[in-house]
Amino acid sequence: MPLLTAGMFLMPDALARTAFVRGTIACLPLTLACAPWGLLAGSTAIDAQLTPAQSQGLSLFVFAGAAQLVAIGMIKGGASAISILVTTLLLTSQHLLYAMHLRPLVAPLEPRWRFGLGFLLTDEFFALVSPFDQKTFNRWYALGVGLCMYVGWNIFTLLGVVLGKSIPGLDQLGLEFSIAATFIALITPIVRNIPTVVCVAVSLLSVVLFGYWQWESAIVLAGLAGMVAGYLCKRLGGIWA
Amino acid sequence: MIWAIIGGMTLILFFNRYLFLEPRLPIRLNRGVKEFLSFAVPGMLTAICGPIIFVKDHQLDLSPGNPYLLAGLCAIGLMLWSRNVLLSVALSVALFYLFRWWL
Repeated sequence: MPLLTAGMFLMPDALARTAFVRGTIACLPLTLACAPWGLLAGSTAIDAQLTPAQSQGLSLFVFAGAAQLVAIGMIKGGASAISILVTTLLLTSQHLLYAMHLRPLVAPLEPRWRFGLGFLLTDEFFALVSPFDQKTFNRWYALGVGLCMYVGWNIFTLLGVVLGKSIPGLDQLGLEFSIAATFIALITPIVRNIPTVVCVAVSLLSVVLFGYWQWESAIVLAGLAGMVAGYLCKRLGGIWA
Repeated sequence: MIWAIIGGMTLILFFNRYLFLEPRLPIRLNRGVKEFLSFAVPGMLTAICGPIIFVKDHQLDLSPGNPYLLAGLCAIGLMLWSRNVLLSVALSVALFYLFRWWL
């Protein structure tokens, strides 16, 4: 995918270059805000006994902060590959919704642009690109946004890897709490209605229970149980209302 | 094994990102599927936090002196108060180390 995006750089005209720079600048604050998580993605991967190449590979190829931190946590906890992949699929399913929203802008482009912008689609990319419509959308602006995030994320991961390698006894530092703290901070503002409360409560109770029973797929099953509970609650609430 | 996981995750992420950008794909997600997926973030993220907070060395730790639990509750409070992700995470991590050193 980096080869495809590199190919787009052949002879961009002045307007394209301006739009690209505008996109890059628009994304800079968001990229810098991701620095702590990039550092964490690199250092916790080293902590979970991944090699430096594997740790950087996660950021280079997967390029999805939450999914990377979760996978690292699950690898450290000894989860099976299949439960890591199912969790990844569910956890990153919001990208389906993002892509559907951006479909009118991106689907008419040539394949290399679709693949390139598709690969670069993140929460931040969606936040900055979705306000445009078919008339105001500029593919170079979108590429600037996406690449700024991609390059920044990988630089911070690299710093995290270097830091992780140079600090002995990293696994005793309790770094995994910062992962929990990050997710708590992301969950708290979206718990605004009863179905979401039910979803979170069922998920938390089930994961503790399944973990106590030592089920290998405790996380993914508990997450699904929470999702089903929240969904049913919303549906039933709709009938009663 | 780790590379297989990374490869699988790469394919899954690209699938999720690209599927609806493909112009030849005619289908749309119906409302039920969208609603179900909207619970993915709270449901899955909570399930991931649970073991980090409550499980220590393969043992369930529900005691009020568990620094992970105390600092986790502080993270919720800080987030409700400040509405700022970065600030809440930084302060609750600092509190976590304080509790761990103290208790």
